[in-house]
Amino acid sequence: MEDFKFLFKVVLVGNAGVGKTCLVRRFTQGLFPPGQGATIGVDFMIKTVEVDNEKVKLQIWDTAGQERFRSITQSYYRSAHALILVYDISCQPTFDCLPDWLREIEEYASSKVLRVLVGNKIDREDREIPTVVGEDFAARHNMYFLETSAKEAENVERLFMKIAEDLMQQARSKDLPRYDSNTTNISGRTSAVSDNSCCSKLA
Amino acid sequence: MFSGCCGCCSALRPRYKRLVDNIFPVIPQDGLVKSNMEKLTFYSLSSPEKLDRIGEYLFQKAARDIYRKRYGFVIIAMEAMDQLLVACHAQTLNLFVESFLKMVQKLLESTEPQLQILATQSFVRFANIEEDTPSYHRRYDFFVSKFSAMCHSNEHGEVRDKIRVAGIRGLQAVVRKTVSDDLVENIWEPVHMDKIVPSLLFNMQESGFHMKETGNIEEAPEDQVDPPMLAETCMRELVGRASFGHIRAVLRPVLRHFDLHKLWVPNQFAIHVFRIIMFSIQAQYSYTVVESLMAHLDENSKSSPTIRTSIADVLSKIIAIAAGESVGPSVLEIINSLLSHLRDSVRNGLSQTDEKQYQEALINALGEFANHLPDYQKIEIMMFIMSKIPFPLVDNNTPADNLLQSILLKSLLKVGTKYQTIHLNTTFPVSFLEPLLRMSLAPDPDMRLLVQKILHTLIDRHNNLEKLSKPTVNVHELELTMEKSSRPDLIFINKHGPVIYDALYTSLQMDTNGVENIEAIYTTLALLCVELASNETIIDLLQLVLGIQNLALTNNDLSNAQKFNLHAVVASLLTLIPIVLNIKPLADYAAKIGKARKHEAPHLLPDLLVHYPANSESANKLPHLLVDQMAICEFVKAGGLDPTRLAQTSPYGAGGPGAVAGNHRHSWVESGARGSIMELPGGQDVDSVSSSPGVQRIIIKEKPPRTSEWHCEVNRHQSWDALFKFPVPRTSSDRSITSRILRRTNNKLPEEELTFESMKKVLTEPPEARKEAEAERREQLSHTFRTATFSELLHRTQPKHDILQNKLNEIFKSLSTTEANRSPIDREKKSNIPVYEQNFPEL
Ligand SMILES: Nc1nc2c(ncn2[C@@H]2O[C@H](COP(=O)(O)OP(=O)(O)O)[C@@H](O)[C@H]2O)c(=O)[nH]1
Ligand SMILES: [Mg+2]
Repeated sequence: MEDFKFLFKVVLVGNAGVGKTCLVRRFTQGLFPPGQGATIGVDFMIKTVEVDNEKVKLQIWDTAGQERFRSITQSYYRSAHALILVYDISCQPTFDCLPDWLREIEEYASSKVLRVLVGNKIDREDREIPTVVGEDFAARHNMYFLETSAKEAENVERLFMKIAEDLMQQARSKDLPRYDSNTTNISGRTSAVSDNSCCSKLA
Repeated sequence: MFSGCCGCCSALRPRYKRLVDNIFPVIPQDGLVKSNMEKLTFYSLSSPEKLDRIGEYLFQKAARDIYRKRYGFVIIAMEAMDQLLVACHAQTLNLFVESFLKMVQKLLESTEPQLQILATQSFVRFANIEEDTPSYHRRYDFFVSKFSAMCHSNEHGEVRDKIRVAGIRGLQAVVRKTVSDDLVENIWEPVHMDKIVPSLLFNMQESGFHMKETGNIEEAPEDQVDPPMLAETCMRELVGRASFGHIRAVLRPVLRHFDLHKLWVPNQFAIHVFRIIMFSIQAQYSYTVVESLMAHLDENSKSSPTIRTSIADVLSKIIAIAAGESVGPSVLEIINSLLSHLRDSVRNGLSQTDEKQYQEALINALGEFANHLPDYQKIEIMMFIMSKIPFPLVDNNTPADNLLQSILLKSLLKVGTKYQTIHLNTTFPVSFLEPLLRMSLAPDPDMRLLVQKILHTLIDRHNNLEKLSKPTVNVHELELTMEKSSRPDLIFINKHGPVIYDALYTSLQMDTNGVENIEAIYTTLALLCVELASNETIIDLLQLVLGIQNLALTNNDLSNAQKFNLHAVVASLLTLIPIVLNIKPLADYAAKIGKARKHEAPHLLPDLLVHYPANSESANKLPHLLVDQMAICEFVKAGGLDPTRLAQTSPYGAGGPGAVAGNHRHSWVESGARGSIMELPGGQDVDSVSSSPGVQRIIIKEKPPRTSEWHCEVNRHQSWDALFKFPVPRTSSDRSITSRILRRTNNKLPEEELTFESMKKVLTEPPEARKEAEAERREQLSHTFRTATFSELLHRTQPKHDILQNKLNEIFKSLSTTEANRSPIDREKKSNIPVYEQNFPEL
C-alpha cells in the first residue's frame, strides 16, 4: 500500500479566512467543513493521487494566516516543493496583501519552489477582484494561476492535480529541490528526485 | 498485494508471515493474541535476519488496515511492533527500525487522533532505546513538522489537549534521540528549532497562571498531564541540553515568538519563560541570554518605549541570575551595553514619560545586576560608569547631555546603594573619587545632589544616613551608631580628606544651591565625621566648620537664606563633632551657642528654610552668636588636644569663592622654608615621588604655601584646583582618558605646574609679585572653567609632552648656569637631573 513513487510537500499560505483549510479539506476529505475554527499554527493532511499511473503522495501543510504564527509557519516554507498562495476574490484586502506574502516566500522558501496563486470563493456573488487582475498579478510574478471554490468543489481537484503533475515533471527532469538529502540546508540546486526508495527514508 | 485471508494457501506462505498473521484476532476488540505474539517474538530472536521482513510485513498490513479504516487491527500491529522493538537486540534492529518508523509515520499521517496518539507513544518508546549504530541517513524532518503541528491542535473537546500532549511528547523524544549526536540529525538547525520552540511556547502560554484575569480556566483532571506543564518540562530539557553554540538557536525563536505574539506587554509570561531559561541553561552560558535580550533591545530601538521598558524589565528580572556566573569582561560588556541603551534612550526621546520608564527599567536592571556581583566588581562598575559620564560645563551641555549625566549618576547611585563599604580606601580609589568630586561641582544643582547621595551611601557604614539626613543640634537624640576609626580609615582621610573637604566647601559656595543641596552636603560632612573623625583629624574638620562660617559671613553671591542655611550647618557640625569625639568642653560650647541662637536668632539654626522671616538679622551683626576661633582653640585644648594648627590661618581663608581653588598652586616651590616638616602622604604618592628623586628633593625642601601646618600635610597637587586641570572623561571616550588622568594624577606632575614660565617665575620672582600673579591666574582659570566649552578645556589641558620636555631641559640648563649663585639645595637639584629624566621617560 505504501507504494507511492513520489512525495511532494505542499504548503498553503495567505491571509486568514481566505479558505485555505477548506481547500485542503475539500481535496483530502471531499467535504466543505461547516464552521471550523481558524487554523492554529500549522495543520497537516495527506493525500495520495495518481499521475500517469504513478502514485504521488502529497503532504499538505495548511498554515495559519495570522501574523502571530508567522514564525512557525515560515519554518514550513523551507522544505516546500510547492506553495499555494490563496486570496479571497470577494475581499480586496486579501489580494492587497499578496506582495507581503511574496516577500515572505522570497525570504523563506526555496527559490525553486513551485508557486501557485489561487483566487478562492468564486461561488460568491460579491466578487471584488476580477479574474484578469489575478491572472495579471500571477503572470507578473511568475506564478501559476487558478480560481477555485472550495464550497462548490470547483477547480480544487484540478489545482492539486496540476501541482502534482508539474512537480512530477520537474522531478523527472530532476529539477526539483531535494529536501531529504543528507544535508539539511536547502540549496535549491538541482538534485536527484525523490522516488519511493528515497521517500521511504522518512523524508 | 497479499490477500492474507486465504486460508487454503496460508500453509504455503513463509513462516514469518504466518506467525505475523496469527497474532491478529478475528475481531479486533479481542486484542493481540498473546500466545502467538510470544511465538513471533521467539522466532524473531532466534532468526534475527528475518526481523526486517517481519517489520515490513507488519507495516504493509497496517497500511492496508488504515486505508480500510480498520483501526483496531492497526493498533494491534503497532503494539506488536513495539514489543518486537523492545524484545530484540540492538544489533539486529537496524532495518526493523526503518519499518517501525514508516509505521509510526503512517499512523501520524492519519486524521484519526487515536492513531496519532498511539504513534507518538511508539515513537517515544523508540526514542528511549539505544541503537547500536546510529543511522546517519535517517531524518526526523517529518516528525518535527508533524509533532509541532500537533502541538497546535485545534480539535474539539478533550482530544485537543491529548493531541497537543502527544505532540509535545513527540518533540521531546526527537530531541532526546538526536541531541547527543549532531551527525544523526542536527536538531539545533533553525529549520527544527523554529518549529520546536514556538510549539512549546505556544503551549506554555496557554497555561492559566500568567493570565489569571481570565479566571475561567477549567481545572484539568488530576491524572492528566496538561500541555503547559509538559511543554515547560520539555523546554527546560531543551535549554539544559543546549551547548554554547546552540543557545542562540533556541533564543532566537523565543524572542521572535514574543514579538509576534505580542508577549512583551504585559510581560509576566516573558519573565516566566526567561526565568525558566535562566534556571535550566548551563550556568556558564547564562550570560548569553542576557546578551541576546540586550541585542533584542537593540533590534527594538524603534519599537514603542512600552515594549522596550518591558524587555528591559524582563532583563532586570533575570540579570541577577546571570550575575553570579559572569566574569571579567562579560560583566563590563553587560554594563556597557546597558549604559549605551541608556544613552540611546536619552538621545532619542528626552521627556516622554514612557521613555523615562524605560530608562528606569534599564537602571533597575543595572542595579539588579550589580547587586549580585561581588563588591570588588561593584567598584569596578562604579568606576566604569563614572568614566562614561560627560563632564558638566556651563552653557555647553545639551539637554541630552544633562539628562545623560543625571541618568548615569542615578545608575551610579543605584549600584552604590548595593555596595557595602568596609574600607573607604577600597571604595574610593583616586580614579573614582576624583571624578566624583569633580562632578559634585556640576552647574546643575540636581546633579550635585545626586553626587552627594552617592557619597552618602558609600560613606555610611553604620546606617546613620537617615539620622543625619538633615542638620540638627539635637545630636543626642539621634542615637548614632559609632565605631572607632580603623587605621586604614585614618590613612584614607589623611590622604583624601583635604580634597574632599575642599570639594564640599566649594560646593557650598554655589549660589544655585537649594536647601536640599546644603542639607546633602551637611550629611556628607556629618557622615565623614561619624565614620572617620579622630583626634588626629578633628582640627581639619573644625577648620572647615570655621571656613563655612566665614563663607557665610563674607560671600557676596549667596542669598541671605543660603547664608542662614550655612550658619545652621555650622551649628550642627559644631555640635556633632565634639559628641563624636567626646570632647566635653567643646560640646558645652556648641550647646551654649545653640542655646543663644535659639533665643536670639533661630534662623541660624536648623531647620533649613527656603524663605526666612524678613526681619531675620544678618549674622554679621550678631558676632556674639558666631563660632569663635579662639574659643574653639581653647576648648580643644581643654579637651586635651593640640590646637596649634587651628590657631593658624585657615585654608578656607576670607578670600571668598575661588580663594580655595588654587591656594596651593605652585607654592611648593617657594623658597626658604620649613618644608622639612612636611610629610608626604602615603601610598602611590610616595611611590611616584620616590621614583623621581630629583622632584622629591624639590618638594621636601620647599616652603609650604602658608604658615599653616595643615597645608604641609596636604598633598597639594591633589587639591581641588589640581583636579579640574585634567582632561575629563566624556561620554564617548574610552577608558584610556580615565587612565591617563589616573596616571597623571599619580605622577603629580600636571603639565601646568611644569611649564617653563611657571618654573622660571618661581625661581626668579620675589614671592609677593608672584602671589599677585597667581591670584590673577586663579581668577582667570576660574573664569575659564566656568565659561570655556568642554573641547576648549580639553584642548587646554592636553598634555604637551614634547614641549614640556624641552622646557624642562631649558630650566635645568638655566639652573646649571647659575649654579654658583644658588644655595646648596639648588645644586642638589641639578645633580639629580639625569635621574629625574631617567625616571620620567614619559615626559
Ligand atoms: N463562499 C465560500 N466560502 C468559503 C469558501 N472557502 C472557504 N469559505 C469560508 O471562508 C471562511 C474561512 O475559511 P477557512 O478555510 O477557515 O480559511 P483559512 O483561514 O484560509 O483556512 C469559512 O467561513 C469558510 O466557510 C468558498 O470557496 N466559498
Ligand atoms: Mg485555516
